[in-house]
Amino acid sequence: MKRKLLDTSKCAVIFLFALILSLGKSNNSIAQTTTQISISGKVKDNQGNPIPGASISVKGTNRVVASDANGNFKITAQKGESLVITFVGYVTNTILVANETQLSITLAEDKGKNLEDVVVVGYGTQKRSDITGAVASVPKERLSQLPVTNVLQAIQGAVAGVNITSGSSVPGSQPAASIRGQNSITAGTGPFVVVDGVPLSKTGGSLNDINPNDIASVEILKDASSTAIYGTNGSNGVILVTTKRGNTGKPTIRYNAYAGVENIAHILKPRTGAEYLQKYADYLKQINQPQTSPVPNFGELAYYNSGTTTDWVKEVTQTGVMQDHNLSISGGSQDVKYFISGGYLDQKGPVKGYQYNRTSLRSNLDVNITDYLTVGTSLFFTGNNYDGGRANLLFATAMSPYAPVYNDKGEYKIYPMDPEQLYTNPLLGLVTDRISRSTNLNGNGYAEVKFSGVLKGLKYRLNGGYTFFPENTASYTGRKANDMLGTARTFYAQTNSYTLENILTYTKDIQKHHFDFTGLYSAQQRKYTNTTAGAVGFVNDELSYNRLSAGATQTSDSYADQYRLNSQMIRVNYSYDSRYLFTATARRDGSSVFGANTTKYGIFPSVAAGWNIGKEDFMKNASFVNNLKLRGSYGKTGNEAVGVYQTITTEGALRSPFNGLSTIGVVPNNLGNANLHWESTTTANIGLDFSLFKDRVSGTLDVYSGKTKDLLLNRSLPIITGYSRILDNLGKVENRGIELSINTKNITDGDFKWETSANFTANKNKIVDLYGDGKDDLGNRWIIGKPISVVYDYRMTGIWQTGEDASKQDPGAKPGDLKFADLNGDGVITADKDREIIGQRAPKWTGGLTNTFHYKNWNLSVFIQTAQGITRNNTDLNYGDETGRRNTPAEIGYWTASNPSTTRPALSYNNTRGYGYASDASYTRIKDVTVSYVFSPKIMEKLHLGSLTLYASGRNLYTFTDWIGWDPENDYATRGSGDWTNNYPLTRSFVFGANISLK
Amino acid sequence: MKKLKYILFSCLAVALMFYSSCKKAFLDEKPYSSYTPITLNDSLGFEASLIGLYNHVSTIYSYSDQQGWPSVWQVGTDVANATTNQQGVEVPYYDYTQLTPTDGAAAYMWNRNYILINLSNVIIDGIENPSVSAISAKGKAAINAEAKFFRAYAYNTLATLYGRVPLIKNALTAPKTDFVRAPLNEVNDFIINDLQFAVANLPDIEAVKSNTKGKMYGRANKFMAMQLLAEVYLRTGKNDLAEQQALGIINSGKFSLNKARFGVKASLPGDYYSDLFVYGNQRRSQNNREVIWTLEQENPSSVVGGITNSPQQRRVWGTGYYAIQGMILADSLGGRGLSRLRLSNWFLYSLYKPGDIRNSQYNVKRRFYYNDPANAKFGQIIPYTGPDTLFKINPSITKWNQFDPNDTFGFAMIKDFILMRLGETYLLLAEAQFKQGKLSDAAASINELRKRAFADYPTRGQVQSSDINLNFILDERARELIGEENRRMTLMRTGTLVDRAITLNSNDAAKPLKGLTAKNLLLPIPLTEIQLNKDALLEQNPGY
Repeated sequence: MKRKLLDTSKCAVIFLFALILSLGKSNNSIAQTTTQISISGKVKDNQGNPIPGASISVKGTNRVVASDANGNFKITAQKGESLVITFVGYVTNTILVANETQLSITLAEDKGKNLEDVVVVGYGTQKRSDITGAVASVPKERLSQLPVTNVLQAIQGAVAGVNITSGSSVPGSQPAASIRGQNSITAGTGPFVVVDGVPLSKTGGSLNDINPNDIASVEILKDASSTAIYGTNGSNGVILVTTKRGNTGKPTIRYNAYAGVENIAHILKPRTGAEYLQKYADYLKQINQPQTSPVPNFGELAYYNSGTTTDWVKEVTQTGVMQDHNLSISGGSQDVKYFISGGYLDQKGPVKGYQYNRTSLRSNLDVNITDYLTVGTSLFFTGNNYDGGRANLLFATAMSPYAPVYNDKGEYKIYPMDPEQLYTNPLLGLVTDRISRSTNLNGNGYAEVKFSGVLKGLKYRLNGGYTFFPENTASYTGRKANDMLGTARTFYAQTNSYTLENILTYTKDIQKHHFDFTGLYSAQQRKYTNTTAGAVGFVNDELSYNRLSAGATQTSDSYADQYRLNSQMIRVNYSYDSRYLFTATARRDGSSVFGANTTKYGIFPSVAAGWNIGKEDFMKNASFVNNLKLRGSYGKTGNEAVGVYQTITTEGALRSPFNGLSTIGVVPNNLGNANLHWESTTTANIGLDFSLFKDRVSGTLDVYSGKTKDLLLNRSLPIITGYSRILDNLGKVENRGIELSINTKNITDGDFKWETSANFTANKNKIVDLYGDGKDDLGNRWIIGKPISVVYDYRMTGIWQTGEDASKQDPGAKPGDLKFADLNGDGVITADKDREIIGQRAPKWTGGLTNTFHYKNWNLSVFIQTAQGITRNNTDLNYGDETGRRNTPAEIGYWTASNPSTTRPALSYNNTRGYGYASDASYTRIKDVTVSYVFSPKIMEKLHLGSLTLYASGRNLYTFTDWIGWDPENDYATRGSGDWTNNYPLTRSFVFGANISLK
Repeated sequence: MKKLKYILFSCLAVALMFYSSCKKAFLDEKPYSSYTPITLNDSLGFEASLIGLYNHVSTIYSYSDQQGWPSVWQVGTDVANATTNQQGVEVPYYDYTQLTPTDGAAAYMWNRNYILINLSNVIIDGIENPSVSAISAKGKAAINAEAKFFRAYAYNTLATLYGRVPLIKNALTAPKTDFVRAPLNEVNDFIINDLQFAVANLPDIEAVKSNTKGKMYGRANKFMAMQLLAEVYLRTGKNDLAEQQALGIINSGKFSLNKARFGVKASLPGDYYSDLFVYGNQRRSQNNREVIWTLEQENPSSVVGGITNSPQQRRVWGTGYYAIQGMILADSLGGRGLSRLRLSNWFLYSLYKPGDIRNSQYNVKRRFYYNDPANAKFGQIIPYTGPDTLFKINPSITKWNQFDPNDTFGFAMIKDFILMRLGETYLLLAEAQFKQGKLSDAAASINELRKRAFADYPTRGQVQSSDINLNFILDERARELIGEENRRMTLMRTGTLVDRAITLNSNDAAKPLKGLTAKNLLLPIPLTEIQLNKDALLEQNPGY
């Protein structure tokens, strides 16, 4: 295997070497001599103020300079060449070099979305006006002044067609993203993430490793035309993250920082002492037991007698604190440009013991070695730290108010509700040792060669990306945390990934015809290994996890796997007069995860066309139209997102003891499918980009229809086969949707300005077929014609009340039991006949609304986000009180004969049908509000600073919802299920920040 | 210029060629950390696959995802009832109105046994493949016999609980969704065939393989196959053949009923019957000559892989005395129980005759004394007052007592499972004899147990032919095997569940029996199985 890897690298190296060699020659043969004119000039804004740091380049060459502090510059160019003058926030100016050697250049402030904006697309960039696919850029203002630790948190609700859900608010957790609905049932549905041209997905790393402060832009590729070039990784959409790079000119030193506090957005309060006592009394009454004690456990009597109570939620929580510091230096000369940044983030969450801190360093470098060779690097290091023993929120909500936190010795009392041992002290986690860290060491480099002469317009680029991603966790639980033997565990994993890409591009203009050609040959590999070691039985707790051999019993394990991808891609763009645009792409991907009976290769083509109607002559009279473009695309993308080795029948090792000796056994654990291949999604997209009334109203409208077939379906098998499931290519899914983004400038003139941007997305997901026979799969809750993720359950219509006759509907039901609809009217409630679809788990529509107000130097931005039409099972309602053994939330009532609820069952109700308590989880949230003040240049002058912005920002400020619980978006697990020790509420944060740049 | 192009493109071509040469192997997959079936076709591979069967069988007994699991097989029969401390999975097994095709316990039992069948089939197919040549014919037969024993074990459980079931004779290599239920006699014949092969080819108990600590008595021996075969013959009405098998075990002379104190707690209060069930005494290698099949378990804090899950037997059967103020957890009281079930009044107050050692205070614990020295009432008897007695100090059997001072909470019970014992052989024999009308032989077989149970036998304890009937034998099974046998399976096998549960145990105060009818002599086929078996109708049992 190692040999093969070497071979592959060798191949790439030879390829590169061959090219460099040929270039050396080309340089000699195509050297030119023409007269260069020395030009000097000054760059100014509309008011005549000099613009320092503007970039002046000679089009089609590597010659770039920057304007100095007074806006002056000097550059050499030939007659007939063009100078391109750019500065962030201003409209780019292009000037043809004539005889003039003194230039005065005025840059107009860029109001509105500049159509000349360069947008990052896969394997290259394009002008916004030339794009034929559905590509959304994340608004730049979402990338700063927000207290987010992961860029996806900032994107949530801000881009049409992108649905982001934070299932957990644990510090350092990453939200889930899906683009244009769920295409797959079993395989991954997360978008493919590419950072600076090199995939981040499948390297072990995540967007947590990318400091949001380093991000220059985020583009989201949505339709087949823009994602098909990612082949088997394109179906779920692609997120392209581009980090900041240096510009020619004076160095810019920036310091951005914020600090603030965090608390729980909504507390689902447990019952108070009196309510708890009442609940216990009611419970006993309902199960026909006489009450012999006011509290369930004698461990609660002391507090009960003295009237003392514990506020357990208060005990396990604190005021969270977060701070973030970033320092960056960027700049460069004509030939060397750099961006260096360092960041430190520290977040102490509101639930005790939860914290996250991140240290990040980035160095982005671009060097023009010769006029035909440019090399560069994007290197970063990120250290994520999630250390610390953690309190258990679920236990805290279950604790009796009469249970003491501490024992006589002042230590945490292990069983506060003694002798109840179901629930231990929620704070015990704080006396465990725990580390959890990951590091991302990422080195991407490129070499780009520009050809000249007859090959002018041809570029070759070699991208090499390498990621080293080690993860390290360790834990020790000892006596104080109720482990009398002491248990230590260490875990070390590392992922080594590389990506090698050969990219050939060719650009040619023939009169009004413009051609772009991009070709790619690439290979990717990921190798993952891990090692676990543990020990049980320590003399005392002194050594923690630092000396496993001091433990009596040793355990160890290791694991390794490998994933590989080999790809070729071609893209051709053609445009005529910037009015008629065509794109055709094709990618061929071979992936190791496909079955041995297949070729392992799939081909994914796409075509797209665009028509810039606004540039047609007949539109000249329609002066209110600034821009109007119609786009259409059609293509096929793939999804290979299944685990490795699914195509092979495997047996796993396990153990059984004989005579006290652990003996190795094996059992089959996966039924492999050697025919497995990719899912393919065919998507049609029609879009309209418009800008009207002097750009006062601009926006984008897209409608799409995607059909996915050959789903990688983790289909359940009758266990009679000996296996519970097999992965297979079966079934079809359809997604249709509409996306609308509108930006308006409501008030533009004067001291007060107001802008609004809104987006709306509706997606309709349905299963078209499963096994080719038109039959539903009720065992898996997959129903043809319905969305993939549904809640399929009994329909609860109320509560059986005293005196009601249940015998004709649900014989055996007692007063206080849940009342279910007898859907087929056969006089009994049965699992197969009386369940139906209650709702879908993905939102029917989502939206976001940002209003930004400016008054002189003050800015206020209010962002509201909504997700509607979501039905989810509510674990807080389902949990009940575990036969009287725990406290429950005060908000969640219960039925009693004297106070008959119509929504909640009796405490004695035994949910033997496994009803999930489906609830409407739709919500609208005031997601963030930011107030900022930008100091005027005059004050800056006095302070000797470049710029200064101060801001205050609040996040998750208020939520409108019918959901009863901590939060409709977060996932909560019941005791012993899922990630139940990490139930963690949505948090609300308030921060103050400053963005400073030095002169 | 042309030259340049030439060089460039030739280099490109060379590079691409290199690439293609790498290509094919580049995408091949080899699992680094799992075996594939072809890597297990030698004697060590088969041996490891056989060990896998024991691991799997233990998951039937150690299941803790639904903590009331052991209750499922006892409550709602004649011997026990659920209490307020029930968990949930057992509810439909006393409130039979709630026993539906989505029942969790019925699904788990079905799941475990069909997977066991597949694991066995993989081994049987492999060893019967003529291309396996490195193993001797005798060696092959032994491997085959061990696997067939487990296949029969699984099919017998399925046939007893569900009746007609799909019969899978070979391992599947591809999905299949058109199973139909085979006729019961076909299933039974298949079981009998497997067991006859196992009896003929499994080793004698003293001829089992050894490891460095001695003979592995935990591995399958022919007497295990004979005992199971006896039960299958009884279920299928071949009583004479059942008698032969039971007699074969008894007459082998390899096993004997224990009649003297022995083992790790011999010097502590107790008796020779309670000694049988003490952890440390449960294996033949620990001088327990009565056990035929002990499924061994070890504390995972000292033996890696010692248990497969967290067995709940102690928590289900043991008393929840810890919940009484003045009580502390103690080894002498068997560790921490939860009283998830309570023995029925019939069992507690009518079943045993005076003098029966099986009902001694060491075997059925009926009185509790305050044991916390810090408590004022230390040493005094805990009075039976109020409902607490039903689930905090209810009388309970001690067979599942187990205490780990390092883990007093003891979510897992770490103790061997005695799955076959000579005591039961006599009961199977008595049943076979009774069914053939050999009443005096049956009485003699029962009296073998009575001789051990009554110190003053025959003054007390002796039974006469006139005492013998099926109910008497089932009563005696409860006396001898309470806590050990799957009571529900026994009553379903003998078709007596409805009569006996209603007659003997219908008026429990806390969790009374409800809705038990003849349909409950079979369990429902899991609904998901019917739904997933989309290409053929997997019939549901009548009434569900």
